[in-house]
Amino acid sequence: MSSLATDTIHRIIEKSLGASTTPIPVIPTGPAPSEAVHGAAQAAAHAAGENSVELPNLLTLLNQYFPNLPGMPFFHHYETQVFSLGIALGIVLIAFLASRKRKLIPGPLQNLVEIVVEALDKLVCETIGHGGRRYTPFLGTLFIYIFCMNIAGIIPFMKAPTSNLNTTISLGLCVFFYVQINALRTNGIIGYLDHLAGQPRDVIGWCMVILMFPLHIMEELIKPVSLALRLFGNILGEDLLIGAFIGLGITMVHFLHSPVGVPLHFPFLLLAILTSTVQALVFSLLSTIYVLLMLPHEEIHEVSAVHS
Amino acid sequence: MDFHSALGLSLPLGVGIAALGSGIGLGKAVGAAMEAMSRQPEIQGKIQLSMIIGAAFIEALTIYALVTVFLLMGKI
Repeated sequence: MSSLATDTIHRIIEKSLGASTTPIPVIPTGPAPSEAVHGAAQAAAHAAGENSVELPNLLTLLNQYFPNLPGMPFFHHYETQVFSLGIALGIVLIAFLASRKRKLIPGPLQNLVEIVVEALDKLVCETIGHGGRRYTPFLGTLFIYIFCMNIAGIIPFMKAPTSNLNTTISLGLCVFFYVQINALRTNGIIGYLDHLAGQPRDVIGWCMVILMFPLHIMEELIKPVSLALRLFGNILGEDLLIGAFIGLGITMVHFLHSPVGVPLHFPFLLLAILTSTVQALVFSLLSTIYVLLMLPHEEIHEVSAVHS
Repeated sequence: MDFHSALGLSLPLGVGIAALGSGIGLGKAVGAAMEAMSRQPEIQGKIQLSMIIGAAFIEALTIYALVTVFLLMGKI
């Protein structure tokens, strides 16, 4: 058991990063009994907070160097929420500025926003098909918001709020309720239950209802969980990878007492841009497909055959 | 073998095995998509979209293993 060695390495990395948020206990005394009652989310946050190194953000740095600022413990404790709300406010501000003075010949900002909106609208309409424009606002917002939150992980002094399970689970819950409410509205209650029962039309279908009904309900419940876990795992893994390689780059030249390390993490920044985009795309595309699967259309079966 | 060393040994190994399976699956999926794209370049966009979604499903399995590692890493 080389926990002492790993502890030392962790402490060196943390010291060189200036991010000693919590001192790592030197004597690991097995899982404490209170730890068993921790929920999964708390355990994840716990593990991510103490044993692995994410890059320090503005709030952890402020908390370390100016702990006496007013409201600092609050901001430090709720840093994920602070960053996600800040990003949301930024998006709102940009949207407001771009749409305030709309012109036929758009300026640069309006042009950029129009390109993004048109691309997202095309994506959603192509996937859902006829009448897909109704769903563009929610799904497009989902893409833009998640993309901005993911990309915040590689901006200095920012933290990716999606590397916290709470953010991704709330996003998954939003998608869950949106999909169910849409299904109820477009199918009606009878059609919704009919869909959940696997659309029984003959004797065999009615016999299968006992099997299909719990299966469909379970599927609906698993969808948001898998969305949330996929996004969380990808972004947290990416951030931890960058953090680990920055730590490695610093410890490599530690004996020189150089103030800067070797930029070993640079290729992973490029990789992070790619993962951030792909994960945001996957999240919104899967939500689009979940919306589509609950719609009373004929082409549902073709698409579900392609995607499952 | 005590609890800690068992965890320390099996966590990276578990991710490795999961990544092996995902790698095989991704290789098959992307290979088939490439073949389809070269055969019919005019529907390249649609194939690419379906491929990305399938790839996300496949790699999610590795990510689940990774999430398990994150959960249990605090206990080492």
